Amino acid sequence: MTNSINEIENAQAILVSGSNTVKTHPQVARRIFDAVDKGASLIVIDPRRSPLARHAHVHLDIRPGTDIPLLNGMMRVILDENLVDDAFVEMRTENFIALRDMLFRLDMDEIVTITGVPLEKITKAARLYARAHNAVTCYCLGMTQHVCGTDNVQSVANLAMLTGNVEKENTGVDPLRGHNNVQGACDMGALPAVYTGYQPVSDPEVRKKFAEAWQVDLPEEPGLTVTDMTHGGPVRGMLIVGENPMLSDPTLGMVKDTLEHLDFLAVSDIFMTETAAIADVVFPAASFAEKDGTYTNTERRVQRVRKAIEPLGECRSDQDMVIALSQRMGYPMSYESSAEVMEEIALLTPIYGGIYYDRLKSWGLQWPCWDRTHPGTQYLHKYNFARGRGHFVPTHHQPPSEPTDEEYPFSLITGRSYHHFHTGTMSRKTPVFNRENREALLEIHPQDAEANGIRSGDMVKLQSRRGEIIIKASVTKTVSPGSLFTTFHFAESPVNYLTVPSKDPQAKCPEFKICAARLEKIEHHA
Amino acid sequence: MPENYILKKDHLKSFLRKLQKDHRLVAPVKNEYGDTLFSVVDSLDTTDIDLENQAQASVKSYLFPQQETLFTYKTDEEGKQYTFEEQNRFEPTVFFGLRSCDLSAILYMDVIFLKENKDPYYQKKRENSILIGLGCNQPFDNCFCRSTRSGPFLEFGFDLQFTDLGDRFYVEPGRAKGEALVKQWQQFFFPATQDDDKARYQATLEAHGNFKQQVLAPVAIGRLQEGRVPEEIWQHFSARCQDCAGCAYICPTCTCYNMTDRTISATEGERLRTWDACTFAGFTGMAGGHNPVDMEKHRIRRRFMHKLLHDVNRHGRPSCVGCGRCVDMCFGGVDIIKFINMVNSESED
Repeated sequence: MTNSINEIENAQAILVSGSNTVKTHPQVARRIFDAVDKGASLIVIDPRRSPLARHAHVHLDIRPGTDIPLLNGMMRVILDENLVDDAFVEMRTENFIALRDMLFRLDMDEIVTITGVPLEKITKAARLYARAHNAVTCYCLGMTQHVCGTDNVQSVANLAMLTGNVEKENTGVDPLRGHNNVQGACDMGALPAVYTGYQPVSDPEVRKKFAEAWQVDLPEEPGLTVTDMTHGGPVRGMLIVGENPMLSDPTLGMVKDTLEHLDFLAVSDIFMTETAAIADVVFPAASFAEKDGTYTNTERRVQRVRKAIEPLGECRSDQDMVIALSQRMGYPMSYESSAEVMEEIALLTPIYGGIYYDRLKSWGLQWPCWDRTHPGTQYLHKYNFARGRGHFVPTHHQPPSEPTDEEYPFSLITGRSYHHFHTGTMSRKTPVFNRENREALLEIHPQDAEANGIRSGDMVKLQSRRGEIIIKASVTKTVSPGSLFTTFHFAESPVNYLTVPSKDPQAKCPEFKICAARLEKIEHHA
Repeated sequence: MPENYILKKDHLKSFLRKLQKDHRLVAPVKNEYGDTLFSVVDSLDTTDIDLENQAQASVKSYLFPQQETLFTYKTDEEGKQYTFEEQNRFEPTVFFGLRSCDLSAILYMDVIFLKENKDPYYQKKRENSILIGLGCNQPFDNCFCRSTRSGPFLEFGFDLQFTDLGDRFYVEPGRAKGEALVKQWQQFFFPATQDDDKARYQATLEAHGNFKQQVLAPVAIGRLQEGRVPEEIWQHFSARCQDCAGCAYICPTCTCYNMTDRTISATEGERLRTWDACTFAGFTGMAGGHNPVDMEKHRIRRRFMHKLLHDVNRHGRPSCVGCGRCVDMCFGGVDIIKFINMVNSESED
């Protein structure tokens, strides 16, 4: 997030795209509600009528995968109605002309056709956003899990820069990270092309710095992305830590094939999972209560997690495991404590330069935090962007990688529910959550349900070109006609057998959010 | 024996130290995040007992834990013979610094857990607890205990009730346990003088006028009794409710629970009682996915009706004690104060 979570409640307009915020980020939704109570406008872009969309002043129920034309359409309205923040564009950005030219060439009728959203709604949304003194945009996986995910996010950035809604308080471009420490994992370089703090592998100076610190030679090439590894590929052995690709990766058929044919698979997790079940070795991992460390959340806030009890049974912390493995692989590591590891991070990572355990009291620190005297950063880019001036990049509509057709006429959207987290590794062990949400449900619109003779509770065979599952139907107007929605929490209905392997070419994020599917009712299900 | 006593503030710590000899001491303690919570006090010399701020949670979890093992069971290898072992232990505990709302809540829980069928787990804990209340000279921001008749000072129910008179506490013994404590540690207690009585009376008067909120619970209760709450209000609140159950969990008088059995090993298990909330869909979820309650429209209806209508009809008073904690807790901004105010603002026709 460029800004902080509690700034959201001071925005005058909030644009939420591709996020079921009430169900997945309740604390952010809380701030959104507070802002709305204070008079803020809420614009929600979502193919589904999510709980948040029901509270929106404008719900832009786009066809799945048409965010770029929609956002371009909004920007065109802003241009036409003179709502551009000229001063901001002039002083803080570059390449505006290219964006402007692209916007002027847009055919608004075409945009309405592609997105399925009437012009009045697009116009209203644009005006609400651009007229606000401070506007915030929140987005989540509904934006990024597309083949044009990177361009989707660029469009959001374009919109924010066009209207001066970034680099000041109570504005921002705010991706809502999911897992409590996914931001921290990325910050620590658990990405194939960067070291810690997003320092590129390809930069020889950076490589030299780490090589010296670690006293080893380091590869010059970036590593492989997830699906490079789990969709066939050169990897013969894997250590999978706290991840369950056998349920969460796209195109599970390929994943199963790959993982089952590895020479060696080790899995570290706190519960037995579908992936751990096929592993050669399983490391029992210590949970949050049994280890020391830090978590970095979506607003760049680094906070301590403190050990409350000794690891149970044979469980070991991630740190212990890495050190033990490293030892046996011939590279001895010696860290007395997590605090010592943090010192190394601070030494080698500019944005974490001032983050030390003795400074991480109560609410922690938000990076960038350059040195021991720096108080942390509430919102980014206050004086200029990281690259100097913000760069407009005109974006163009890219249809989903697998459009619907006669054979597979439905758009299948996958996502999450409130009570379960991802593959249910933890949440499906909890009695109350299981009571609240015990089985996978396929959301289908009443029109489609009627056309197919389906009622709520019927078992359905859901198919794509890659696989099929049996799943229970739930007839609801939350989805639009022609769309289906389900979650990936339940191993009994592993929907990722159906999803596509296509990825965004830059971010390599798989297109989980849409594939083509068909269904048929199962008459007598045992 | 004189009616009421004085305990000098200088002597508070000394008195509590004496109590600690035979009891576990639980009091409001401020932690490093600046949060005040009822915590077990290990060392009086290193613990910051906080009598200035409202404790963010009540003592409900001490008498009715969020997760409680009721019994463990073992079986033989074939799973034919079972043995059960009850798990019902509770250290004698003194609860010090209980505000009137929280103390009233315990009196309500007494009715729920002890009146008809005695809950042995609650009973064990309750019988081994001493309740020392502290009246509120200055109610906190979201308080409305006056409106729910559960404060700022109580007439009965406590073992001892303290009132802060500046450099000293006015101490009223209530129940027998309180009397016994004063007698046991009589060196700390001086009889209250007429001036003390006056000062105390003055403090209670001023407290009644010091509420920051005007929440007219009796008016809302009346409207509920007459069935005059429009459908739109239920729907608005239910639409904003985020199903977090924070209100029910933080509420000192919410006592619904769920039972599950947990496997420990092939031959061992335990029966757990855990907090539940009527705002959860599964609370009345039925086979086939049916639910007699329309959660979209009426998610919070059951809870507010329980607090403000059913308990009035059943027990003669609302079970909301006006502590105001659900206000800061609620993610959707649909706490009971907002509900009462919205009900009351509906026009007469």
